[in-house]
Amino acid sequence: MKNAHVIIAEPSQLTRSGIMAILKQTGFSFVFREVFQAEKLIRHLQNEPKNLLIISNFFLNSCSPEVTGKIFSKSAQIRRVLIQDTGMNSRFYNDFHEILEPDDNEKVILRKLEKQVRELVKPDPACDQPEVISEREKDVLKLVAIGMTNKEIAEKLYISSHTVITHRKNITSKLGIKTIAGLTVYAIIHKLISF
Amino acid sequence: MLIQSNMKMAEVIHLDYHLLPIVSRFGISLGFGDKTIEQVCRKQGVETNFFLEILNSYYNKDYFPQKHLQGFSLELIIEYLRKSHDYYLHTKIPLIEDLLRQMIDSFQGIGSETLQLINGFFVEYKNELTVHIDREEEKVYPYVFTVEAAFTSQKPTREIVRLIHAYSMEDFENEHDNVEDKLFDLKNILIKYLPLPVDLQLCHAVLVELFRLETDLKDHARIEDKVLVPKVKYMEKWLIEHATV
Repeated sequence: MKNAHVIIAEPSQLTRSGIMAILKQTGFSFVFREVFQAEKLIRHLQNEPKNLLIISNFFLNSCSPEVTGKIFSKSAQIRRVLIQDTGMNSRFYNDFHEILEPDDNEKVILRKLEKQVRELVKPDPACDQPEVISEREKDVLKLVAIGMTNKEIAEKLYISSHTVITHRKNITSKLGIKTIAGLTVYAIIHKLISF
Repeated sequence: MLIQSNMKMAEVIHLDYHLLPIVSRFGISLGFGDKTIEQVCRKQGVETNFFLEILNSYYNKDYFPQKHLQGFSLELIIEYLRKSHDYYLHTKIPLIEDLLRQMIDSFQGIGSETLQLINGFFVEYKNELTVHIDREEEKVYPYVFTVEAAFTSQKPTREIVRLIHAYSMEDFENEHDNVEDKLFDLKNILIKYLPLPVDLQLCHAVLVELFRLETDLKDHARIEDKVLVPKVKYMEKWLIEHATV
């Protein structure tokens, strides 16, 4: 399972710990990076893997406009969540995917963060389908998964039973799945067939 | 290194804790004190030499005293196989089921139907294993005892030959289907294709138990294929050759 790399930019230890505790409740796995200095934040944004920036208004307001600009430009490609402090106006509202309000209770915060994390760990469509099995093998796999026999598959795809068997052998050795039931589970997980 | 009868039982467990389920299969519980294997076995009424051979063949993957093991009575061997069956069905499978359930329950969110699918796959495996085991206990073992009884009493009757022709160890070997294939698949589905961020600790626990079950089943099948089958085949052959036609 891939880890979500989360940068938390906020001076208060209490707030940082609170955010991490709530994130952990989502059940996803995280690598956290806690920062409370603007220069450090920029360095992290430049050099480290990151998926999600959680930053407080308090932190941003303490930065010069130039630094703030840098933070936004360096985090342009990732998801951003703002921690809105009490009594502060935000000029940055539109730059964030989500805003945590001061009066949000734990449930609301959990829901908001979970939504962001879910976006992060969403399987990348490009690498979702393993390239290992060929299009033809995929065709065969689909038919195996819905319970067709070699002979039926051969007729349907206009190939010989022998070719079907060869395809099946290759599918099994490439995927590491031997049984029809296992191939069916694989095919459903990878949306080759539906329930 | 071979485990010897004068070794302390506690030392054996320290040597390899994977032997714990084997030990308990012989009805031996913990609290050995400083007793040796021999002392523990005598107290529990366990055949020491058989116990040692089983321990050693589990402990040392290269050690398989086929001839030695074939020297033990079928009753002893089958009693052991039955106890392992009992362990799979009543200890191991429920444990994995429980861990899998916890893993599924702890996951909230989109995609839980995939987990149900995996759970369904495990249930299918469990049913297959149960059918497989029931078949051995209800059909194969009684057959084996009948053959043994005829062999021991040196009575190659027409009836027993008819039985052998109707169902022999060769049939058993042929139908000894690969229930472990599903187990193998389940491991790979979890390791390679699980699309969801499930509780990793629980998922690891499930996997570790699946690996252990697989190893145990392999050792179990080895005793069936290399000890039980040749022994009974030898008897079948003798009975057929000496049958009064």
